[in-house]
Amino acid sequence: MSKTDDLAQQRSRAAESREKCADWKALLERIPYAQHLGLQVQCGDAVVLVYLPCNETLIGNFMLPALHGGVVGALIELTARVAAQSRDTEKRCPRIIDSHINYLRSAKARSTFARAEIVRQGRRSSLVSVTCWQGEESKPIASGQVQLLLPTIAAEQEELHDS
Amino acid sequence: MSGWTEDLMNELEESRCSDAVTKACQFTEQVPHVRDLGIQVISVDRGQVRLRITPQSWMFAQEDTKEICTSILYSLADSAGGLAVIARVRELMPIATLDLRMDYLRPANGGLSLLAVATCRHLTDQIAFIDCDIFCEADSELLATAKATFMRNTHGQQFHSDGLKKNSV
Repeated sequence: MSKTDDLAQQRSRAAESREKCADWKALLERIPYAQHLGLQVQCGDAVVLVYLPCNETLIGNFMLPALHGGVVGALIELTARVAAQSRDTEKRCPRIIDSHINYLRSAKARSTFARAEIVRQGRRSSLVSVTCWQGEESKPIASGQVQLLLPTIAAEQEELHDS
Repeated sequence: MSGWTEDLMNELEESRCSDAVTKACQFTEQVPHVRDLGIQVISVDRGQVRLRITPQSWMFAQEDTKEICTSILYSLADSAGGLAVIARVRELMPIATLDLRMDYLRPANGGLSLLAVATCRHLTDQIAFIDCDIFCEADSELLATAKATFMRNTHGQQFHSDGLKKNSV
């Protein structure tokens, strides 16, 4: 590959990342609980992350101290939601069906980062895998898989009918 | 050992245990994130605990809907699970969530309180297996189910009552 091709590809990747970054920020801002926790979007050259600055209300064990398991759960679930909704061409708001989270290391009272990987996104559902870390990305504190349902017109009509 | 001494010993043991459970309730309610969510301990029996959460508008999943964010139910299940371990063991000790799996059966109405019922299904020397159901308190409809495992005695640290006082707000 020539240098100009390389450069063009880098530029397009950066543009894609900027677009994704703005998208994620807008989606997070519309989630009241994400705002309450203080979730933020952090944009790199090639990767978009969700970032949770530490504050006292997130503590689950003040003796250690450590983050509450539910805070890590929320970071994973909300990151998965934003990733799935951003990927959807129609920007449909997904509903979380289930989540399974494994805690790998103790979550200290410090800033936490989350990266989402979409395992598979279909027309009706999405499976997102999220990894969280604090200091080094190679030492994750938790990882989780979240199944989401993307609403279809048929489902929406059914809901209207029910109510 | 004579009968009455045994009775007395049992009684002492029982009061020591219930003391541990009382401390665990106090401890749970003093956890900053539990306080932030306004989680209340309703009852603690051997191996089964009930916790309540009263929804606030900042707990919603979306600006334009009155549905509670699933992550609130997740935090409630994790808190209830942890307390269920202490209630079963009847001894204060640090524990850590190993994993937690949630199934969200129905959306949770933002106008109605949630009730979590957590049960310790099995205990080994190191691990506690927990089931937790989350209901809508008003109509007892099942909203979510959780399965979790906890590691017992992490870090070998003990919770002391003076620690509670020192950290109380």
